[in-house]
Amino acid sequence: MDRVLEVDSIVTRFGAEKIHDGISFGVARGEVVALIGGSGTGKSVLLKEIIGLLRPAQGRIRLLGTDVWRATPAELNALRRRFGMLFQDGALFSSLTVAENIAVPFRENTDLPMDIISPLAGFKLALVGLPPDAGRKTPAQLSGGMRKRAALARALALEPEILFLDEPTSGLDPVGARAFDSLVRLLADSLGLTVFIVTHDLDTLLSVIDRAIVLSAGKVIADGPVAAVMKAEDPWIREYFSARSPLALSGAGS
Amino acid sequence: MLEHKLENGASVLYLSGVWRLANLAAISDSLRALDLKGSREFLLDGSRLDALDTAAGFTLFRHLNLLGCTEAMVSVRDFKPRHARLLKLVHERMKCPPAAARSMHLGLVQRVGASAIGVWRQLKSHNAFVGAVALEVFDLIPRPRRFRLRETVSQFESVGLDAVPIVALVTFLIGVVFAYLLGQQALRYGANIFVVDGVGLAVCRELSPLLAAVVVAGRSGAAFTAQIGTMKVQEEIDAISTLGLSPLQVLVIPRLIAIMVALPLLVFVGDVAGIAGGMLVAAWQLDIAPQSFLDRLHDVLPLRSLLVGLGKAPVFAAFIAVIACRMGMLVARDARSVGVNTTSTVVQSIVWVIVLDAVFAVAFQRLGI
Repeated sequence: MDRVLEVDSIVTRFGAEKIHDGISFGVARGEVVALIGGSGTGKSVLLKEIIGLLRPAQGRIRLLGTDVWRATPAELNALRRRFGMLFQDGALFSSLTVAENIAVPFRENTDLPMDIISPLAGFKLALVGLPPDAGRKTPAQLSGGMRKRAALARALALEPEILFLDEPTSGLDPVGARAFDSLVRLLADSLGLTVFIVTHDLDTLLSVIDRAIVLSAGKVIADGPVAAVMKAEDPWIREYFSARSPLALSGAGS
Repeated sequence: MLEHKLENGASVLYLSGVWRLANLAAISDSLRALDLKGSREFLLDGSRLDALDTAAGFTLFRHLNLLGCTEAMVSVRDFKPRHARLLKLVHERMKCPPAAARSMHLGLVQRVGASAIGVWRQLKSHNAFVGAVALEVFDLIPRPRRFRLRETVSQFESVGLDAVPIVALVTFLIGVVFAYLLGQQALRYGANIFVVDGVGLAVCRELSPLLAAVVVAGRSGAAFTAQIGTMKVQEEIDAISTLGLSPLQVLVIPRLIAIMVALPLLVFVGDVAGIAGGMLVAAWQLDIAPQSFLDRLHDVLPLRSLLVGLGKAPVFAAFIAVIACRMGMLVARDARSVGVNTTSTVVQSIVWVIVLDAVFAVAFQRLGI
């Protein structure tokens, strides 16, 4: 199995506090994996460590065959072109229009002329389900859901092999959230993308996720298909999955 | 990359190699080099394709569209399942019509007209803001309890106290420079002692108020705009309104009062420092002992000069505060906006201070003050 991500014995400290105490897991190519856990368990911190924004105190992270924290700056830059990251509120460049935002990775990383980049950026908009006139707007003029889709389009610009999503459905209405989940699943299936989602959203978990990794008290307490994780003995996991009516759970883990 | 063959009357396009973003330029070139005119049917063959991504797929379909191909004319064969899935997704998403490009070119007359209307609207809203602030101030007189003393004192500390070292330093140095300049001239006529007159007058009437105002505009004007602007972006001002408080009372009035009290005091500090600078130069270069300097100053510097300088200060302060707070409230929700508005505050404040200073100079001269 081709492992695109290997996290090995990560320890993270903020001052005297130990956030992660030996986190290890792997993600295979083509999987849609969710990282879940209570608030404050360091999920977003772990995500930032995986993509090279925050250094862990101990441990190793191999992303697409590169050791993230032992790579040279040139190797890290080459690696950055192979994955896409969707930040929690999109993190679009507020002074640029959406179309200009999507064009940024093309302009910075390729030598393509603008007459090829413009239609390509327009296509990325269509790929994530945004209407064509969204390209002319600035991020402040878009709703939350549209901002996340625009940010997704930017993350997909350089045809990444793995996509990282940080709480993609937070702040979205239920219809918008489910639509976003379906979009992610469609892209994963059609493009062979590996997707790594940090999420709180139970509905996301129960609909489009292949495998779930559960963080609690600085350790991984469960790692497997959603149906199996749901049956785990741990009290937090029990409580997390029961925060939903039995009716919804009956369609779970498919 | 691409090979074109005619088989059984249909154009077959063999895609080969790596059809990815990195090779997009080569792919575009191969597509453009094809001569497909007159073909009615296209068959895309993916048997020799090593890799495919959406950028390459999009480029291929776009090129075919530009040649006038319709969906019915194109079929695919021998693609690997994952490539076929990708092509299907690309094709589906391309069905959306492209956005119509809006012409952004405006004629000169239109631009002038639009700018004029824009400036008029801006002036009206600035005016409304000043009016609203004035109303809030007058509203405090019958209801003094609404005055937020703690915020005002806190602002006074940052606007006034924290600025004392800088204002003192700057005016001291200007006093030194001015005294030196005057002294050189006075020495020629053996009229050294008149340096005292010159320094005292210049520092108290003009140099200290102007410099103190410029320093405060740069420090505190910019700070007000940045603080209020960031609060605007984070919706804190909306939160203040929602809690039944007036943002003008909570944010603007304390800053306004603080700066109007602080600036005259800073001008006084500047007066002392400037004269001290002059005294230093007088002692070192012009053989005027400090005691003689002070005696002469006591004789020739009218209280009026000092009061004129101190009297200009609250006016400068009011302008700086209103401009700074107004620009803060106007900050938009993008990253550039706080910086742009802060810069604008400093520039506008300094220009207004100097304009006001000129107006005062003419007015006082006419009034014989």
